[in-house]
Parts: sequence; C-alpha cells; structure tokens
Amino acid sequence: MILSLSSYRLRLPLSLSIAAVVTAFSMAVALGLQTLTNLREDQGRNALTLGYAMAGVQIQALRNDDVWLAYSLLRGPDGGGDAVWILLDQAGRIFASNRPRRFRLDQPIENALPWLPQAQPQVIDEKPGRVSAVDREDVRRLLRLPLYSDGSQVGELIALLSDAPYLPRFREILLGGVLVTGGVLAVMLPVGWLWGRRMVGPLVQLADCMGRVGREDPRRMQCTLPDGDSEIGRLGQQFAAMLSALAEKESLEQQMIQAERLAAVGQVAAGVAHEVNNPLGGMLMAIDTYRRAHPVEAQTERLLDLLERALRQIQASVSALLVEARADLRTLTREDLEDVKTLAQPNIVKARIVLNWENACDSAIRLPAAPVRQLLLNLVLNAVQAAQGGGHVGVRITTQDNLLMMRIENSGRVIPPEQLLHLFEPYPASRPHTRGLGLWVCYQIVSQLGGTIRAETQGELTRFLVALPLTAESPA
Amino acid sequence: MAPVAKRPTSSPCSRRTFLSGLLAAGIGLAGGRADPVRASSQPLRFGLTPVVLDDRIGFLNAWADWIEGALSRPVVFVQRSRYREILDLLLQGRIDLAWICGYPYVRNRSRLELIAVPRFRGRPLYQSYFIVGSDSEIQRLHDLEGRLFAWADPDSNSGYLYPRFRLTSDGKDPDRFFRRTFFTWGHPRSVEAVAEGLVDGAAVDSYVWETLARGHPELTARTRVLERSPEFGFPPIVAGPALSDPDRQAIRRVLLSQVQDAAGRTLLNELNLDSFGLETPDLYDDIARMAGRLTGGNGA
Repeated sequence: MILSLSSYRLRLPLSLSIAAVVTAFSMAVALGLQTLTNLREDQGRNALTLGYAMAGVQIQALRNDDVWLAYSLLRGPDGGGDAVWILLDQAGRIFASNRPRRFRLDQPIENALPWLPQAQPQVIDEKPGRVSAVDREDVRRLLRLPLYSDGSQVGELIALLSDAPYLPRFREILLGGVLVTGGVLAVMLPVGWLWGRRMVGPLVQLADCMGRVGREDPRRMQCTLPDGDSEIGRLGQQFAAMLSALAEKESLEQQMIQAERLAAVGQVAAGVAHEVNNPLGGMLMAIDTYRRAHPVEAQTERLLDLLERALRQIQASVSALLVEARADLRTLTREDLEDVKTLAQPNIVKARIVLNWENACDSAIRLPAAPVRQLLLNLVLNAVQAAQGGGHVGVRITTQDNLLMMRIENSGRVIPPEQLLHLFEPYPASRPHTRGLGLWVCYQIVSQLGGTIRAETQGELTRFLVALPLTAESPA
Repeated sequence: MAPVAKRPTSSPCSRRTFLSGLLAAGIGLAGGRADPVRASSQPLRFGLTPVVLDDRIGFLNAWADWIEGALSRPVVFVQRSRYREILDLLLQGRIDLAWICGYPYVRNRSRLELIAVPRFRGRPLYQSYFIVGSDSEIQRLHDLEGRLFAWADPDSNSGYLYPRFRLTSDGKDPDRFFRRTFFTWGHPRSVEAVAEGLVDGAAVDSYVWETLARGHPELTARTRVLERSPEFGFPPIVAGPALSDPDRQAIRRVLLSQVQDAAGRTLLNELNLDSFGLETPDLYDDIARMAGRLTGGNGA
C-alpha cells in the first residue's frame, strides 16, 4: 500500500517529529541567546572591574612615562583575553594597548578609531566608567574609563569588547540542541509511526466497512469494527448499531414484500379456483345427469369416464391451491403431533437419516388439528427429503407465551439466499422436479392460522421456524 | 650594563614578568636574607639588576649557596628594577658588590674596584645590537627615523649610551630622531617589545640577545639584528666602598676559581658564560670616551 502524504500514518509521526524539532530548536536558540546576553553582561562587568583594578597603576605608568608597565598590565597574563584594551594619555594619544601592532604608540586615537565619539570633558564622579553598546566592525560593547589624578584627567582607558569569545559557546549550545533533537527523533519517529498505525487502523476498518454498505446485504455483512471507550471506539459502536438497524429494516422489508406477494398469489389462486370450480362442478353434474338419464353404450361410457377423470384432476389441482385451514374444528392434541412422526417413519427409514424428535407439548393445544398436522408433516417430509442419504433431521415442538413453536431443521443441501426469498411461492423455479405446493400449502396454513413461518440457514443446517398463536378459548 | 643570566621563562608575556614589573619597587630577593645580620659572619651583599635574572630564584639560590660554600660566608643577592638603584646602594655602602654595566662603572671608576669580568664566548667583550622586527621593512639604521624605539635603561651602555652615540656620530639628534621612545628597564623586555610590535626597533645587549636565542629561540626569531656595534668591555662585577680589601680578595678568588669546580661550571653554563676573569679598568676606556662625548645625554 502506497502511503500518500495525507495519510495519518505519515502525518502523525511527521507532526510529532516536527513538533520535537521545533521545540528543541527554539529551546536551543532561546538558551543560546539567553547565555549570550548573560555572557555579554558578565563581559561588560568584568571589563569594568578590571579597568578599575588597573586604573591606579596605569595612572602611575602615565605619570612616569612607563610604557612598558602600562603595556605589560594591559597585556595581562593571557594577552588581555579577547578584549582590546587601549590606554590613552592626556592628549588623547595611544599610550599602550594589548594590540600594539594595530594601536601604535603615540598614535592619535581619532586616527585609530575614527568612529569613537570625542570624549566629553565631564564632571569627575566616583564611578566614571561606562559600558555602552556599539556596532562597529566586530566591536559590540565599548568601555570608556577616564583616569583622574588629583582632580584632573590624565588619560583614558578604553576596552573594545566583541562577541567573538562567545560564538563557540553559542555553537556548542546549538550543537547540543541538534543532538537532543536527533535523540528525540530517534524515539519519536518509530513511536509516532506505531501510534499512527494504532490510531488509523480502526479508521481504516471503519472506512472499509462503510464502503461495503449499499453494495452488500447489511444482514450478512461481517465487519471488524473498532471498539472501546475512545472516540473512534464510540464511532465503531455507533456504526455497528446503524448496521444492525439497517439489517433489521432490510429484513422487515423483505418479509413485507414476501408476505404481500404471497397474499397476492393466494388471492389470485383462490379467485382462479372459484372461477374454475363453478363451471367444473356444472360439467361434472352434467355428466352425472347424462349417465342417469340415458342408457350409455360402452364407447360413450369410456368417453364420459375420460372426461370425468380429467375434470376431477382439474378439480384436485385447483383444490390443492385452495387451502382451507379452518375446515377442521377438532382441537390439536399431543398425539396428533406424534402421529406425524409415525407417518413419516417409512420415509425416514428409506432415506437413512437420523431423526431427533422433541415434543414438549401438553395434551391439548388450542389449535385446529388437521391443518397443523398437515403443516408439520409437510415440513418433516420436506426435511427428510433434503437430508436424504445419511443426514439428520431435528424437530422441536414447544408452547410458550400462547404460541406453538415448531422448529424443523435438517442437514444437507443448503438453500442459497436468493432462493430463500421465493421459497414459499407455488411451483418455485428452483425446485421444478417437485409438485412444488408443499411449502406453499404450509405458508397458506400458517397465514390462515395467523402465525409466521420463516426459513433460515445456518452453516449446513436449513431451518424452518413456525410460530402459531393459540386461540383464546377452545375452538368453537 | 646589566648582569645577565639565562632567562628561563618562555614567552615574552609571562605573568611573572608582568608581576615582577609591578612588584619590582624596592622588594629585594629573599627579603629575610637581605638585611645584614650582625652575627659572627656578616653576609656578603651582592647586588644584581633584575633584568634577566628576575625570576630565576632557584638558580640564584644555587649560585648563592655555591659562593657561600667557597667563601665560608653567607651571600645575599639584592635585586632592584633600575640600574641606578643598585648603583646608589653600592655607592652608599649598603651592598658590598654588584654586577653592573660598564657605563655606570666608568662614571664611578674612582670609587669602584673591578672584582671580575665575565668571559662570554671566550672574551670579556660584548656588543650592542640594533634589532627590528623579523618582518620589518627596515634595512638600515636610518630607516628607523620617525619610528618608535625602546631604550633599555638610561644607565645601560648597549641599550642607551652606545645607540645615542651612534646616532650622534651620524649627526642625528637621538632625542629627535625617533618619533617616540621609552625605557623598558630591561634588555629582554626590549627584545619582547620589538617582537610584539610595540616598537619598531631597540638596542639590546648582545649577550642577552644571544642567551635568549639559546633558551627562547621563538622569541628572538621574531626579531632581526639590524646592526652590531664594536665590542665593549663586558658588564663587570665591582666592589663598592663598603667591602674591605681582604673580602675583595676573597670574593675575587672565589669567582675566578668558579670555572675549576664542576658545580661552578654548571652554574656558569646556566649563565651562558665561560668563566670570570681578571681585567684592568682600561677595558672600559671606549665606553668612557663615548660617555665623555655625549655630555648632553639624558641625565645619565
């Protein structure tokens, strides 16, 4: 997978690293500048202190014209350090300096340092020394210390201070900052990478799953969704809730469509049956009347028989479409249900299947006996046929909450989901070899009894679930 | 001219040089021993001008010990920063003998007696060197006109009398020839001043320059000898009026015999000298003549 810059898997570690770099760099710069400021102040103070310390001897050197004494004092133990020291005599000429080649003896100071402001004759005070900021060549600060002897000025001590001694230290601090940044980056980059992956992983799951909504049946979507207390976890939970709501809605719609379609088919079938049955009854009556009123010769008799058998076949076919669930008013008993087991036994043996029969019903069940027997028998035979050849069939019948619950499941060929939708229609296209009215009849019975029937598959199992509401009182 | 020993410290800008310059005023070497102690054996007070020897206390102690051993009498070295101070002490009888320059000697020949004269490179002679910076463009003495120049000491022959005489001989006024001059109060400092660029030129004792070249070639390498003077009598060790005749004989014997003793030879070698010899006062007649010609000198 190619990561673009917009990916949080890159942006997170990068952001962390940039934050670390910026922090470390600004710390280093701030520290460096602060140190520089402190060092500059120290430098000015030290120069002033040194100037005052030297002043007495320098006055003596000026008085005695002892250039060497003044020079050796300015030069100090280490050549005067980085500061440039200049001692001027009364006439403003250079008397000594620790940079003797640059600031020559007897040279007027205005020639050596043209930018130096003319010294103002000033009132003698106790602390005449001044450190002022300048910016000339590499001189940053300037110390001017007039030297007084017995009330009159005999010379002036000047120190030119630069930043040169501090630049290496400034560089050291910056280098330290760079090293710290490097160390932090070495930790931050992998941590940020992992963190980014951890944060982004659930989002990617969520995005993948969202992408499938609308293209797949929400009832069968298997999504790994983030969980937990975090915002992303809550997002995942909300999305899971939305998915299940979608699945429920989808399921309801399907059921409604199915119910409506089956109801329409039932009406059409009933209408056709009535329309066919009326003339059919007339025709059968006419054949009967004809037989009774006329002596019928053998050839005619064969013809009438042929007609009557054909008409009766039509009548049987039409009757099969018309399920009259409430025709039988006898109350269902536990034995009726057990009868179904017995009736199915030959088929079970023939199909070599294992039957797991579980009947947890009381003796009397407030439902009409005949349709429920037919319903159960149809479903059991159906299951036996599907599980043919060493499979197994499970039947479980219970009553609860004024409902008779029947669960019939079988192993064997799994019904594809698209067929499940049309399972209860008459003459389903998927099962052309059967007469195809078994499940249609079941559905009609259940509908007329006010119950529900649905089929589902689970792994290798195909399961029919029937729920029939018991009548309030014993059937009238 | 100053007595001189091999100068030990390295660079011209050592702190000790700087400090000793500051503290030079009146502080004698090993102060406790400086004051004469009225004891069975009164110490011999030996004056030195602290020009080259100023921070070689270890060497001076060793030399004092050696003389003590040979003389059977304590020896105290007395140092001052100026030639004049040592000369004054000597003439006032506050020290017994001193190692001084030929110039103050000839001016006080009547009151001072030659004890011994060091032999440098086999002879009791030395020169004055005009030196300039090694990278200086100056090629002749007259190029120094209008430049900065360092004198050693107003009582120095090689560092003051001779260079002034030399300029006067050429018809120049030594007080106007240079733009600005000053005294460094020591030949090694004059060498340093030239090496550091503090001045354009200086006149120094050849013995000091050569001894520095032996011990600190990096310093003398930054200078160049522009001109060498004729040879003069080497700065002598002289007795002042305070020293009795037997004592003069005794110390003379000790110094003349130093070269015969192994330890004494080591000390001489440290001084970059061959031996001490006996010379007559006319060795310094040349200096006396120059001094006589320069009547208008700078108060010397």
